[in-house]
Parts: sequence; C-alpha cells; structure tokens
Amino acid sequence: MSERRLGGRPDLTALGPALLVLVCTAVGLGLDSYPQYVIAVATISMVVGIALVVLVGLARCITLASGSIMAIGGYASTLAVANLHLPYLVTLVLAILAGGVAGWIIAFPGTRFRGHNLAMVTLVFQSVAIILIREATWLTGGAEGIHVPPPEIFGLVIASDRAFLILIGTASAVMTLAVTILVRGPFGKNLQAVAGNEIAAEAFGASVRGYLTAAFVVSSVAIAFAGALLAPRVRILDPDSFGVLDSVFMLAYPIIGGMHSVWGGLLGGGGLRVLPELLRPVADYQELFFAALVIFVVMFFPGGLTELIRRTTSTFKQHPTRVSASSSALPACAAVSFETGQRADELLVVKGVDKHFEALHAVNAASLSVPMGGIHGLIGPNGAGKTSLFNIISGFLAADGGRVAFAGTSLLELRPRDRIGLGITRTFQNVAIFGQLSCLDNVIIGLGRNPVIHAMAASLDHFVGGAATQDAKHRALVALEAVGLADHGTSRAGSLSLGAQRRLEIARAIVSQPRLILLDEPVSGVAESETEELRDLLIRINAERNIALLVVEHNIPFVAKLCQSLSVMGAGRIVAQGSPAEVISLPIVRQLYFGEQVTA
Amino acid sequence: MIALRVADLTVTYGPVVAVSDLSFCVERGETLVLLGPNGAGKTSAVEAIAGLLPKRRGTVEFLGADISRLSASTIARSGLALVPQWRELFPAFSVEETLIAATTAAAGRQPAPLPAVYELFPVLQERRRQTAGSLSGGEQQMLAIARALVTNPKLLLLDEPSAGLASGITRTLIATIARIRQSGVAIVLVEQNMEIARALGERCCMLSAGRLAWSGSMHEAIERNEAERVYFGEHRQSRPAEG
Amino acid sequence: MLSQLGFVVLAGIKFGALYALTALGLVVVHKATKTVNFAHGAFAMLGAFGSFLIVVNWGWPYWAAYLMIPIAIGVIAATIEFLILRRLRQADMFTVVIATVFLGIALSEGFRLTYNTELLAVPSLFAAPPFIVAGVVITRDTMWVIVGALLAALACIAVFRYGRIGRGMRAMAANIRGAQLCGYSIDGVYMLAWFLGGVLAGLTGVFIAPVTGVSVDLSIAIITAGFVAGVIGGFDSPRGAVLGGLLLGVAESLSAAYGSSAMKNCISFLLLFLVLMWRPQGLFPERSGRSV
Repeated sequence: MSERRLGGRPDLTALGPALLVLVCTAVGLGLDSYPQYVIAVATISMVVGIALVVLVGLARCITLASGSIMAIGGYASTLAVANLHLPYLVTLVLAILAGGVAGWIIAFPGTRFRGHNLAMVTLVFQSVAIILIREATWLTGGAEGIHVPPPEIFGLVIASDRAFLILIGTASAVMTLAVTILVRGPFGKNLQAVAGNEIAAEAFGASVRGYLTAAFVVSSVAIAFAGALLAPRVRILDPDSFGVLDSVFMLAYPIIGGMHSVWGGLLGGGGLRVLPELLRPVADYQELFFAALVIFVVMFFPGGLTELIRRTTSTFKQHPTRVSASSSALPACAAVSFETGQRADELLVVKGVDKHFEALHAVNAASLSVPMGGIHGLIGPNGAGKTSLFNIISGFLAADGGRVAFAGTSLLELRPRDRIGLGITRTFQNVAIFGQLSCLDNVIIGLGRNPVIHAMAASLDHFVGGAATQDAKHRALVALEAVGLADHGTSRAGSLSLGAQRRLEIARAIVSQPRLILLDEPVSGVAESETEELRDLLIRINAERNIALLVVEHNIPFVAKLCQSLSVMGAGRIVAQGSPAEVISLPIVRQLYFGEQVTA
Repeated sequence: MIALRVADLTVTYGPVVAVSDLSFCVERGETLVLLGPNGAGKTSAVEAIAGLLPKRRGTVEFLGADISRLSASTIARSGLALVPQWRELFPAFSVEETLIAATTAAAGRQPAPLPAVYELFPVLQERRRQTAGSLSGGEQQMLAIARALVTNPKLLLLDEPSAGLASGITRTLIATIARIRQSGVAIVLVEQNMEIARALGERCCMLSAGRLAWSGSMHEAIERNEAERVYFGEHRQSRPAEG
Repeated sequence: MLSQLGFVVLAGIKFGALYALTALGLVVVHKATKTVNFAHGAFAMLGAFGSFLIVVNWGWPYWAAYLMIPIAIGVIAATIEFLILRRLRQADMFTVVIATVFLGIALSEGFRLTYNTELLAVPSLFAAPPFIVAGVVITRDTMWVIVGALLAALACIAVFRYGRIGRGMRAMAANIRGAQLCGYSIDGVYMLAWFLGGVLAGLTGVFIAPVTGVSVDLSIAIITAGFVAGVIGGFDSPRGAVLGGLLLGVAESLSAAYGSSAMKNCISFLLLFLVLMWRPQGLFPERSGRSV
C-alpha cells in the first residue's frame, strides 16, 4: 500500500486572505486614479497587519519597531535599484533579507524580555535605526530623503496608478499567502502554543526562544517587503515617515481588526488605512479619532472586530463533528535499546539526587526506580520535595548532585525539550493544554516534531495536503480515540471540562509512543467519578502500550489502586518504598501526614 | 449565636472546581477545624470566605451580614481576618510597620492596642524594628498572626499555621491560639497536623476533593478515625473495634 | 574650558532633575499598580499648558500655578484611572500598555487641536541677573529648576517611604493579597497612586514650561526620557528613578555638547540597552528582602 491512501486534501481555506487582497485589487481596477492609489496602499497595510498579527497576536510580543523595519525594507530596495542597478524584483528579495536580519537582531536581546522591557528594546532599535538613516546622509540622503525611481519589471516601467495597483496588489497577495500558510500550519499552531504555555511547549520539543525569534523574523520579513512595495508608490523616502508614532499607529491594525487571526490583520490594516479617506472632511481630527477608537475597542471589544464577529456567529456553530481514523492499528513501538551494563528491567533510575534552595535541603539523597512498563508512585505531604524531585527528573530544575538515567542515558544534562526524543513525555499539575488550539492540534504537538524549521516545512506540507500532515493527523486521532475524546477533535481545548482536559493531556503524552510518562498530580481537582475513569484509562494505557508511568499525587486511594510500587517522601528523603499495601500502613507514613503517631 | 455561615460555597479556577457545595457554620467563640489532604480545597475555601478569590458562588454570612460579594479589603475591615497559608508579609516592612499597616483594617472600629498584641508575642516586641524578610520562619508566622489580630477580628481564619515550622514550635503555637480563643474570637483552623487539630478543635469538617466528606465533633472524629478514612481510603491498619 | 564643562554639566543636571521628577511619577504608579502609564508625558504636557493658562492668559502669579496645576492634573489622572483603567484591571499587560499609549496620543491631539499653535512660550520666573560661580554662568531659573524639582522629588520619596499615604501603596507593591488583608482596598490605593503620579506629572510640566515652552512634542519627549531614566535607575525604585534621571540628563548634555545632536539621542538609547542587557534590575535598585 502506498502513501497515496494517506494523502489528503490541500487546505484551500488558506487561500482566502490572499484572495481577498486580489479581490480588492480587482475592484480597484474599475475605479479612478486616486482610489487606485488608496487601495494599493491599503493592501500594503494589510500585509503589515498580518505581520503584526503573527508577532503581537500569536507570539504576544509587543513591538515599537515596525516603522524602522518598513524603512529598512524601503531603503534597501531603493538603494539597490539606484546604486547597484539591480532589477526591482531582485531588490524585493534583498528587502526581505534585510528585514529578516533586522528581525533577528531585535530578537537576539528581545526574546529575553517580555512586556515593558521588550517594548524598550524594540524602541531602542526603532530610534537608533532611524537616527542612523538620518545621519548617513552620504548613503540615504539624510533627513531630506531620497527620490525613488519607478520600478522596472522585465522592461516594463511601472508609472501609472493602474500599473502600481496591479504590481502592489499581486505582490501583497503573494506575501499574504505565504504568511497565511505559515500561520495556518504547524508553525502558527506551535507559535500559539509557545506563547500560551512555555513550559508545556518546551516539554514537547518546541523551543521558546526559537519560535519567538522566528516570529520576529517572519513579521519583519513581511513588513520590510511592505516597505519595499511602498517606496516607489510614494516616490520619496524620508526617515521621518517611519517614526515611533507610526509604529504605534501600526499596532492599531491588529488591535482593531483582531489579534488572533489573519483576517483580523487584513481587516485592521486595510480598514484603518482607508479610514482617513472617509474622514477627509475632518482630516485634522484623524489621529484623535484613531486614538479614541483604539481605546474604545480595547475597553469594550477586547478581541477586535474578528472576535466580535466570531462571538455573534458562534451561536450558530454546529456541534463538534466526529472525525475518525481509518484504522486504529499503529506500527509497533520501537524497542528501547539499553546501554551496556544497564539492568534491562530498570527503565528510569534515580540515584542519590540532591537539591538545595539556600538553607533548605529540598531533596536529600533521593533514589527510586521505575521498571520497564511499570507504574510507580511518589507520594508525600506538602513541602516533602516531591515536586522538586519531579522537576529534576523532567528537566525543569537542575540537581545539585546524583544521577538520573533513562535506559542508561543520563538525563541531568539534557534540556527539557530533548526528552521527548528519548521517549519521555509528561503531564502537568495545572493542566497545561493549549487552550486556544483544537484538541487535534494539541495532540499533534505531542508528536514532538516541533523544531522551527521542521514546523515551517510542515506548514507547507499542510497547505498542499501532503502525507506527513495526514500521518500526524491520523496518529493524533488514534490517541484521542484511546482516551475517549474522538468526538472532540475539532473542539477548542479550552472549552472542555477539567476531566476531559486531563484526558487530552494524556492523549498528548501518548501519541509519540513514549516509553515513560511522568504524571504530575493527574487527578488534582477532578471529581470522584472521573478519578476512577482516569485511573482505569492509565491502567489500560500501561497494559496495552507497555508505557511505564511515574505518578506524583496527593490522592492516596487513587495512587494505591493505580501503582504497582510506591515511594514515600518526607522532608526531602525517601522514607519508605514498596508496594502500596505495605507502605501505606507503615506508622512512619502516618506520622508524616498527621504530624504525630496516630494511636487509639 | 452564629459567627459564620457558609452555604453551598463553590470555588472555581477556570475549569478546575476546587470547592463544591460546601456548607458549614461556626458559632461565636467556637473553634472549627478543617481537615483534609492536599488538593481537598481547604485553602480555596478559606480564601474564598475572606474574599481573596473572585470566582465564588454560594453564600457567606458573617455576623448575620452577607459578605459573599464583598472585596477582601472590605471583609478585613468588617472584622474577619485571614492568616494565609503563605503568610503574604511585606519583606521590606519592619515588624512595627506591618502592624501599623494592619490598623487600617480596624479603622472605624476599635483597633486592638499594639501592646496587647506584643504581649502575646514578646519576640515580636524585641524585634519590632527588624524587617519581616529577616525574621525566622517561626517569627514570620507569629507576625502574620499578629497582623491579623491587630485588625481586631471577631473571626480568625488560620490556614495551616504550623506548615514549614519546626516541630518544637507546635506547643507554643497551640498555647498562643488557645489564648486568642480565650478573648472570644471564633476560629476556623485549617490543619493537617493532628496534634494541633486535636488540641484546639471543638468541631471538625473533613474535606475531600472539594466536597464535605464528614462533619461532627472533634471527639467523634478521633474515635471513628475519620481522618484516616479520608486520607488513605481503604488502606489502613485494622483496628480493634472500639466500644 | 572647565567653566564650559561646568556649564554643560549644570545644564545636564537641570534636565536631569526634570527627568528625575518624571521617572519618579512613572515609578510610583508602576510600583503600586504594576502598570506603566504611557500617558504620563501627555499629563506633563497638560501641566505645562496649564501653567501657560494661569501665568500668561489669566496673569496670575507663578506660585498659583505651582499650587493648582499638580493637584488639577492629579485629579485628572485619578479620574482616568477610575473611568478607563479600572475596566482593564483583568486585561493582559499588552492591552493596558496600548490603552495608555493611545490615551497619551488622544490627550496630545486634543491639546493640539484646541490650541492650534506650534509653541507656546512661558516667561521665566525670575527677571534678576544670573549668578557667576567659578566662571560658570548660572541663571536663577536653572537654580530654581534644579533645587525645586529635586526637593519636590525628595519630598515625594519621603512621603512615599514614611507617610501614611505611601504605606498602602508600598504594601500593595510588596504583596497585593497581604495588603488587602490589612484593609487596603485595591480601588482606593490605585486611584491614590494615579493621583500622586498625576501630581508629579503636573509638577514636571510647570517646571519645564519656562525652560522649553509648551508644545505637543513635550508629550513624547517626556515619556521617553522618563521611561528610559526609570529603566536605567531601576524601575521599581524611587531613588533609582531620581538617580537614573540625573544620570541620563548629564549623559545627554555631555554628548550633545561634545558629540553631535544625533549622538545625544543615540546615547540615551545605548545607555538603556546596556542597562537592560547587563543589569536588567537597574543601576540603583531597591534592596528587597526575601519574599515571605
């Protein structure tokens, strides 16, 4: 049998936004010169709007540097045409490269900060870049600006409003399509995941720093491209058209249009660029009107226009449709190979782990082991060190000493996101699903195929309906079926009940066919009835797929019925170890929980 | 005379239901103990009563007045004080300034005179110019309790006051709380330490997974080994049947 | 040569004192409410304009301006907190930043439209001739700004640190839950913080009016300088704000005098960038205790 069977339909909805740009262009062709100018410039703003949706909406990074990036694109293209005599289309590529480099430069310090400090870093870039452009009079013409020669494409000179409209509209549509493909595919999903829950994203192989840098680069590429399109249209480039205030006003595009979808960027960018034309009679009051509009939308319609539309139409939304996998048989799990000298039945070995927090000896020579396909529990009162030990094993906390080995490989030097490659996944105490993504997308992220470049390629594959996308979807569906959530594939993960969310987390943890799952308080906050179901689910997964489990929990009856062996922690040490029945009735364990000997 | 009446209290954090339909009463001057394992909802319950958690349903009546929708600061000013599990002190404030800050809550009513509070915690008087951040764990706990007392409460919520403290301090803590109780303050004590619970509790409510699993007198709770049942389920030592 | 240096440094201290006052206003609000008020510059501009109104249009004496403007701007700021910011309490940081940014723009535009001139001149306070100390020319205005602004800043820090008014704000800054348990209401403390921030902005405006005149550019120039000074000094530290402001003022003055005007702009941003990368908590942060 061939991949053909797994091939799927291309994602044609991704063409939508680009089509809208082309439609606007087409409409413009039937209008007069001045409207053609306006529409051309509006499509450029649409591209900026989409770029900002990627950076500000999806990646949740604030930027005050958009103006300078646009200037960089415009000047790069113009200078290349004027000084190097390169063809215009080639200079567009140059502008893209310049934008990408600028984005990378900002991201280098920028991804270390959030909030006000990030705004500051971008403000520094914006201000310094414009100052440099203004000062380099020999190159850029300084504050006076430079004249932009009309573009020449295959011998044709673009000079009329109509010709500009066609050129700019088409180019904008192409960039729109490119960004939409990225946003709709795994790249956009992973970006949202990273912005939504950094720790969970890292645990499944998505590098936070990598994705945020990519967000800066992608958005800067698009904005610089927009600048290069704008330059010949406005004929004169000067640095003062790309100042801080302009950057600030560009932020209004995603705010008004909607921050979380490409359509929002289009609506916001295009709409706000056209608005001044409609406000011609009160031209002076434009900026005041804009500012008031932004404040109004931010106060009363926090998601922008598209959110408003989504809310009004969601009342008509149909029930989630069941999407089924064609067969539930997956290829057999790869065998785990052990380093020599490693006991074949001990999958995870923790030996003598130590951790100090200043004066507190949080973890004191802790040792435990999880056998292949076994279920091991870790219990203890609050402050006993369970969480610290768990975080050391899962890579989110550095140990001060000791050994943690998985199938012979030491885990202590590895970053959290390298564990999924070894076959270790985890769940979280505060259920860390990616609320704004669908259940299916949540589980697909669990496959761990999440390095940035890989995700970008996967986005292209997603667009053309390739085999890799189908394979990922198929595996995710199988995992959802295994946890009983097959009916909710397309539902937004944040709308599920807590029990369902916990099951979703388990689906995400099993889809990559791991050898070991680390479960952090898997039934915390769950109602009694659902607790039983979750327990049965875990036992089934362990038996059917031979996946070992390490469970940290406070709910002792749950752990007693689930685990084959238990470690009890108190004041940083492992106080007892053995089968649940043996361990729980030990006096020392009771003393741990109740603070004194419970006697008659 | 009822100091606190809680009816159908439900507390949610997003999709998590931390407390579900919890109901209990506390009489004036009485000490009620809330027991239960971690994650049972004890802290969420008392924080919701004190007004710190916004997502709460149900009714809370304090001295006859409905405080269900009031803000935490208003509730503090009406004489219901909470000593939270993580103490929530101000690291750079001196002991003295911390207590003075709390007199805000007593404004309008009669504030508890500082000398009386210092008398209860002589160590704090000694260290009154030291910053809260430089105190030891036990001293910080005392400061947290003292801060609540300054607001002259009629009801005191204590969330695991013994957590993280060396076992020697337990005696002192029990004695201190007993003295506080003598002045007529009703107390809701959240604890996992059975020694403290038995010494101070008159009645007791056991929580499990956000719900009320059992309530009754402290004496009954000990006799019937309720705590073990709630914590450990079926797994417990077999005991000779009690008369 | 030395006297020229002295003159440049003095000019730097003069602007530095103004930056210090601005940064202090930003830090006070941020400490108490965890939000940065990007409309702070616009508030200062309104204060400068108010000074113009009182001194030039109505012909009242200067001390009336110094008394009334800060309080008026404080009231405006508190009202804005009540009407707009209160609604946004649950919103994420980006939303709040955007709201205050565009609020600042709205206020500046509003002013520009009502008073349609580029620059409004405000006379200096003193007609008497300047001092000459060690060959350096010191105008009375310069002395007044330096001494006045710094004294005001120190007074504000004292009130904040030792007064009853500041206690609620510092408590909220240290631990919002603990502060509520002490009886401090979020609504009350936040509004008070914005009032205090507004007072400082108004004061900045009144001090700066005779120095630079009143124009729309003031709005952006002040918030940028204030923010940069705050980050350099340490954003949650009142004394950091003052020291950061002075440092920024002197650095700018030196680079403008001995470099170029473009250098001057670059310097402040470079300084900011260096601080962010190597000491993100600021050069003069507040000593904080362990969290309890």
